[in-house]
Amino acid sequence: MKPENPLLPYLSTLQELIDLTPDVKLFRLELNDPDIREGFDYKPGQFVFVSAFGVGESPFGITSVAHHKAGVDVAIRRVGTVTNALHQLEPGATVGVRGPFGNYFPLDEYKGKNIFIIGGGIGFAPLRPIITTVLDYREDYGDLVIINGARSPQDLVFAPEFDTWAASPKTKLELTVDAGNENWTGRVALIPSVVSELKLSPQNAIAITCGPPIMIHFTLIELRKLGFADNQIITTLEGKMKCGLGKCARCNVGDKYVCKDGPVFSMEQISQLIEQF
Amino acid sequence: MSEFISKKDLLTWLGQLMEERNLVAPTRVDDLLLFSKIDQVEDIVFDFDNTTLSPKEWFYPSSETLFYVEQKDGQTELIPAVIEKETAIFGIRPCDAQGMAMNDFPFLEEPADDLYRQHRDKTALIGLACITACPECFCSSMGSGPHDPANVDILLTEVADGYIAQVLTDKGKALLPDNLLTTADVSSPPAPVLSEVPSDGIAEKMRQAFDEPFWDRLADRCIHCNICSYVCPTCYCFDVRDYTDKERIERVRSWESCQSPGFTRIAGGHDPRSTKGSRLRQRFSHKLLYFPRQFGALGCIGCGRCVRACPVNIDIREIIQDVQQLEVKSEA
Repeated sequence: MKPENPLLPYLSTLQELIDLTPDVKLFRLELNDPDIREGFDYKPGQFVFVSAFGVGESPFGITSVAHHKAGVDVAIRRVGTVTNALHQLEPGATVGVRGPFGNYFPLDEYKGKNIFIIGGGIGFAPLRPIITTVLDYREDYGDLVIINGARSPQDLVFAPEFDTWAASPKTKLELTVDAGNENWTGRVALIPSVVSELKLSPQNAIAITCGPPIMIHFTLIELRKLGFADNQIITTLEGKMKCGLGKCARCNVGDKYVCKDGPVFSMEQISQLIEQF
Repeated sequence: MSEFISKKDLLTWLGQLMEERNLVAPTRVDDLLLFSKIDQVEDIVFDFDNTTLSPKEWFYPSSETLFYVEQKDGQTELIPAVIEKETAIFGIRPCDAQGMAMNDFPFLEEPADDLYRQHRDKTALIGLACITACPECFCSSMGSGPHDPANVDILLTEVADGYIAQVLTDKGKALLPDNLLTTADVSSPPAPVLSEVPSDGIAEKMRQAFDEPFWDRLADRCIHCNICSYVCPTCYCFDVRDYTDKERIERVRSWESCQSPGFTRIAGGHDPRSTKGSRLRQRFSHKLLYFPRQFGALGCIGCGRCVRACPVNIDIREIIQDVQQLEVKSEA
């Protein structure tokens, strides 16, 4: 059930707020209207706008999966006006949710393939639904390698799930940080060099990456060196956006809109875009 | 024979329209010519080339509340804005009417923009064909023309003592009382001859010129004042913000320009279009390359307003010409 006005958010309740890192919180949201909630379906890679009424709304990749039927989760890093306001909220607060918007990771096409998840910082958040889906339907997919990198150990998102991921069948979790601390015994390396060191095989594989532009840039170079073709490398883009509908004309890259033609693009599609960011 | 309305009958009719709905028409405001809501028909300006600002304000206001947020006793309610009253716009030029039709592509594409659709549905267009033209006009090169009836409900063409009336849509028919129009043996005056701008094949040439240093050179003198977007009938980029006034919160949409520094800057500071050249290229690429690819029509309607308004003489007609020639050079 869609509202007639696509700029009108669904009133929603903040059910739970979980600290993921010093500046990232996981927001568990539930749409208030039971009929709308029932019909609210979404796929890995899609995003929603979340409103802090009186401050504004911003787009966030959904980190939960619809098949768990447990609302909508988004991981929000406190970085601007809206995200600061959202971080001030307490459970029970009323927020707005619009969406879901955008295309999604075509997971059906990845069935039987090895999947490499390469996420940096908060850019890891929209990749989490892929991991959840692969682990929920483990036999449908090949090996899963998860590379999660951050500036420091405390900035790694979804730490409570690391043990579960690492213990899952055919699954390998590689954590890496730019700078460690006294308790950190793991890797201290930039994500692109981890990609290179692991010698990920492009054979029957898909690499999905998201993170800061500079990380994606060098990760792409390493993946290509390993023999990945551009149609085997998938990313999800971010853009300034105000509507999610291809109308505000803020998030265009050439003649495509991140909000409705994306946010998920293969490198093959990106290399054909008129504008290169 | 043509359908005809005398000047006197026209004024009487406009007076009637004003009683039953909003009547919007060209008026003089200081030294500007603007579409304004009319309280007395004597304020309407009939003798003009084109208005300083386009009529897009009446479909897509420079600032407009999308909805109100009411919070009472711990309950939150969203109250969407509703356009109650019908409007008739008198004196819209064929180029501007085409501009509104161009804006329909993004705004009415499903899921349609609710407020824009309400404005559009409730507004009738009484066009005035152009008898003279501004030196900067080039609508006939951009898919329209001084007498183009395509995008108005009624088109009036001035002749001696009155106007030839073409009633083009049911919406237009509904505006007219019975027996208002008479027939007269008058013929339409010739359309003014406009300068030609070589727009044929411009989308493909824009694609080829995309990575040329041309854009950075051109943008050197741009002071990103945004006036081009402000006066343009087809610039439709917007911003959305919340405003809090005492107890009431409003979510407001307002015009924004791709020429603004920070137009594409995202939280965290990354800005994919951080140079003036890339922003200037965006404006012309949107109109002459992306819009044609997305919707099959040029996103510029040749009204010439940006040419008149630009303080540093950035001229879309010259740009189209130059871009057409850039390719000629690279082939040579």
